[in-house]
Amino acid sequence: MGSWDWSIIQRCWPLMRDAAWVSINLFAWSLVLATGLGFVLALMRMSPIRYLRWLSALYVLIFRGLPALVILFFAYFWVGRSLNLSPFQSGVVGLSVAAGAYKAEIIRAGLLAVGRGQYEASEALGLSRAHLMRRIIIPQAVRVMIPNYMSNATLLLKSTSLASVIGITELTGRARQLANSTYKPIEILTAAGVIYLALTTVLTVSQEILERRFRLKT
Amino acid sequence: MASLVSVKGLKMSFGDLEILKGIDLEVRRGEVLSIIGPSGSGKTTILRCLNLLERPTGGQIDIDGQNLCNEDSDGQMEYATKRNLREIRKGIGLVFQQFNLFPHMTALENIVEAPMAVNNVDRSTAVEAARDLLESVGLAKWADHYPLQMSGGQQQRVAIARALAMEPAVMLFDEVTSAVDPELVGEILLVMRHLAEQGMTMLVVTHEMNFAADVSDRVLFMDNGVVVEEGPATQVLGAPQNARTRGFLRAVRDRAPMDEEQQ
Amino acid sequence: MSIDTIQEYVPIILKGFWITVRLFLWSLIFSTVAGFILALMRISSVAILRWISGLIGWLFRGIPLLLILFYAFFALPEISRSLMFDPFWAAVVGLSIWTAAYQSEAIRSGIIAVEKGQFEASEALGMTKRHYMRRIVIPQSIRITVPPFIGNAINTMKQTSLAAVITVPEMTLLARQIISEDFKVAEPLLALAFIYLVLTTLLLMVQLGLERIFRLKV
Repeated sequence: MGSWDWSIIQRCWPLMRDAAWVSINLFAWSLVLATGLGFVLALMRMSPIRYLRWLSALYVLIFRGLPALVILFFAYFWVGRSLNLSPFQSGVVGLSVAAGAYKAEIIRAGLLAVGRGQYEASEALGLSRAHLMRRIIIPQAVRVMIPNYMSNATLLLKSTSLASVIGITELTGRARQLANSTYKPIEILTAAGVIYLALTTVLTVSQEILERRFRLKT
Repeated sequence: MASLVSVKGLKMSFGDLEILKGIDLEVRRGEVLSIIGPSGSGKTTILRCLNLLERPTGGQIDIDGQNLCNEDSDGQMEYATKRNLREIRKGIGLVFQQFNLFPHMTALENIVEAPMAVNNVDRSTAVEAARDLLESVGLAKWADHYPLQMSGGQQQRVAIARALAMEPAVMLFDEVTSAVDPELVGEILLVMRHLAEQGMTMLVVTHEMNFAADVSDRVLFMDNGVVVEEGPATQVLGAPQNARTRGFLRAVRDRAPMDEEQQ
Repeated sequence: MSIDTIQEYVPIILKGFWITVRLFLWSLIFSTVAGFILALMRISSVAILRWISGLIGWLFRGIPLLLILFYAFFALPEISRSLMFDPFWAAVVGLSIWTAAYQSEAIRSGIIAVEKGQFEASEALGMTKRHYMRRIVIPQSIRITVPPFIGNAINTMKQTSLAAVITVPEMTLLARQIISEDFKVAEPLLALAFIYLVLTTLLLMVQLGLERIFRLKV
């Protein structure tokens, strides 16, 4: 085992830092879209219209049954090319569509976890359905969802690495490039790993903060 | 005088299981009616039908001149529309066995939520009214506490205040002391007694016989989905006509000698 | 796009099927063994074992699988000549350690779910530790561990697709090749998606079946 070369990390740092920002960007966009999609799917699943319920369940079944890489290929080669999207946009579409299926289940579980009594009390008080959802159900559902939502978000962050396969220069892709061009894979890949660990730690800390903020006061 | 609550031929089935087999009852304005009976007799189901939380499979319900459900000429059930139902429910207050307070809101917030959202009351008026209500149930200092910070008895009193905030014409109480520790039952019953003394029309499903005896005007004994006996409280509880009523009351009194002392 | 073309491509892509299956099975075996070891370390009374296991788990759950695969493929050979794997085994190494990090949590939660009180009761009754483990702990632990364990296994199956990125000729790589060679996008991807859906659905049915068996055992 040779010696560890710190200087290579220093020299490559700007490139890696910029690539990390691309990863974060991919993550942020995909998280927002996936959450929105998941919410719509969850509501569909709970709708009185059978067709909507069925559609939502089918979506979840298909997109949880496919590897994320395959979904990304669909997004890039098929959807992206038909709609003339940039690689980044295709990446976001692919990641959102894949993650949305998981978010749907998480959100649905959260909504279901709010006991029936809360619905009944609100109905008895004459609150409208919209008001009931907004002020009573969703705040309580959010509290239940946080752990699963955040751990899924962490998975999403890590899955942005797949975007390198469709040509987006995010952190993992850049790391691979540099590892090969500098012939110092250990240093470069380890540095990339450290950056990812830092990012996932941020998410874990956020999760704890959120859990505390939403905890019921006893 | 026309009844505030009028129920005719109420039937309720869940699938093949017939819970209510044709119930008639009337409650006049200002009256307190207690419904007693063994578990499974259908007492809770009656209250839930009165609010249309369950949809009856037969019969007619009218509350404060508004029709909640009835059978049309073909025997098909007609129910109040969603919009009408919300209006009607403003006039009915329901207090649940499990309290069903909103755990993420303080006592005060629980109480002002519906008046502000449904009746468009402005915040300062609503808050003032809420504080008065909390005072009347003995919880003035607990306005900013959360449900889980309070005992079962306190939570139920907040639930009563929350229902009262909508200024209903009639209050329905569904075994409101059953889920509460025995030593906290008294504080809830006290609130209900005061409410009765102020002239509120109340339908109370309960097993607290002493409360039924002291506070109700009339008592209705149910068993197996039918009304077995009904009449003035003193009569049904003191000198019941029906053998089944006598059997039930004997079993209840033997079970809990301490109730007698809670006078 | 025609159904016939899709049908044509299925057998071509299936040439990679056995590689996919072998990747999956080897990773499953290694990750289960490693997962057990990590789980037992994590609940051991020896602090340093707990610490090491916790660190490994945190590390490998905190960075993307793709990065782990790159590490296995590019960096390990640099550390030592003897660690130069061919792509297939590099993929197995990466997949195994990644899955193990998650399986250790599933196994651990099963073990700790059996409360201490039961152990004390068993001691008071004069049971041997072995009897206790066999009749009390394992039946209860299995019921808790099996669902997330199989969930992780299904994930591993899907993630075998990443091996394509380090040139393992499994199904996703073959589909990718068809895209570049035949200039067709929808057909190969749909064929690939179809195959994966069949595989994951089969595994899901296994999971449901196992859950039913364990519920009956109550």
